[in-house]
Amino acid sequence: MTAPVTVELSPRARSWLRMRAIARRHAYVLVRSPHRLFDVTLWPLVDVVLFGSLAAFVGTSGTSGTAKASGYLLAGIVLWHVIYQSQISLSTGFLEETWTRNLLNMMVTPVREVEYVAGVALFGMVKMVMGIGVMVLGALAFFSFHAWSLGFGLIPIAVTLLIVGWAISLFVIGLVLRFGTGAEALAWGVMFVLLPLSGVFYPTKALPTVMQPLALALPTTHAFSALRGLVDKHGLNWTQVSIAGAGSVAMLLLAAWFLVAMLTMFRRRGYITRYT
Amino acid sequence: MPAELVLEARGLVKDYRRTRAVDGIDVLVGAGERVALLGPNGAGKTTTLLMILGVVAPDAGAIAICGIDLARHRSRAAEQVGFAAGYLPLTERMRVREYLRLYGQLYGIADPGPRIDEGLERFRVTHLADAMGTELSSGQRTLIGIVRSTLHRPRLLVLDEPTASLDPDVALRVREGLIEIAENEGTALLMTSHDMTDVDHVCERVLFLSAGRIVADGTPESIAASYGRGNLEGVFLHLAGNHEASATQQSDHP
Repeated sequence: MTAPVTVELSPRARSWLRMRAIARRHAYVLVRSPHRLFDVTLWPLVDVVLFGSLAAFVGTSGTSGTAKASGYLLAGIVLWHVIYQSQISLSTGFLEETWTRNLLNMMVTPVREVEYVAGVALFGMVKMVMGIGVMVLGALAFFSFHAWSLGFGLIPIAVTLLIVGWAISLFVIGLVLRFGTGAEALAWGVMFVLLPLSGVFYPTKALPTVMQPLALALPTTHAFSALRGLVDKHGLNWTQVSIAGAGSVAMLLLAAWFLVAMLTMFRRRGYITRYT
Repeated sequence: MPAELVLEARGLVKDYRRTRAVDGIDVLVGAGERVALLGPNGAGKTTTLLMILGVVAPDAGAIAICGIDLARHRSRAAEQVGFAAGYLPLTERMRVREYLRLYGQLYGIADPGPRIDEGLERFRVTHLADAMGTELSSGQRTLIGIVRSTLHRPRLLVLDEPTASLDPDVALRVREGLIEIAENEGTALLMTSHDMTDVDHVCERVLFLSAGRIVADGTPESIAASYGRGNLEGVFLHLAGNHEASATQQSDHP
């Protein structure tokens, strides 16, 4: 047997190099496809104008309940975009490989699955910061809504939602590997199933009774419940945040397991021929 | 058998639903050896290559690249392999140099710049370094794909139809470049091709696949002689005829 070639970097350094290379590859995609900026600039702005106007309209009634609702709407839509941006950037990052028939090129390289996901997620976080930045500035400029007035309690809530976004995208990628690009509609669709069930803009007791147990099982419900506590100036409800955090990590692990299972099936059944 | 095995694939089997695409083959390639994997459409060539690349899992058998078990250590094994195919696109929205830099880094080269220059020069495409991938002709894309596959100086270079869609002069340049890589760097080549000129010029050993099995293994001359044909093309046509008759249900794809 011949000895393997001498490599220049340690395994850890090579791994980090690969993740950065993947992130840079997706940066090129964004910079050189201006229409991709829609997701991180215009769409957040549209949402903040829509929900901010709704909040302003509701707020004119002057009762304490309606004032609360307007705060829920604006804070809810800003934090909703944490899930949206993290999910969409990771899902479309992978879908970019299928749209451009680049999957085989990528799969024959030494890139490990976890490195690939980490690289795309790394650049996804840049996109998320851009998108949330646009929303925060839009909410401030148009509706005088100071998102940071909610305090540092926003950070653990945002982290939880970020993890949920990644979990959903791993699940979507798994489905695309299994069923082909026809399943990519789920990249956008799944989010909007979660939106009403998670009580993004209202307490889940407003949901039909039959749906409430399902809502309570979602980590996002507890995250947005904690957010409403911040809007109501009750401080951060650590119980809700802990349930949301544990639920989101469990969701991520389940999604990672599902993705690995689908990738194994992808290799076993030779589905790569769909993309060559 | 070659003394130093770069590729050791034994007992490979792959079934797609009710079709057996690859039926218990061994593929052994030594350092610096130049091997062609030939056969008619549906013979199992691409499936075999995809298994060797770790993209399709064999149903039975084992693959080792430079002694590294592919099933257990895919990433480490993949560092030893380069792959190019005439049908593969270049990553979109990147200039050629950016694209090569990306893939150099994916193969663990911190500063791929000098190797990019060397590769572009070897295949005489330095003038394309700043072009966008979408501006290239299919032949130019193939050349850049080959440069990409050799950046990390792989021990095994796998090529699927490397000269498909190339003009004769460019195909000649590719053949010369590949021979130079094998001779100067000790890189083993495993390539498929439907162009027997490629095989005659580049390869010193031929594996003929038919209906998922290796039906001939030897030098181009010895195989042609054993089938009583004047050249490899004659053998190919003979085997393709048999394959059509006996395996109409076989397919290379699931």
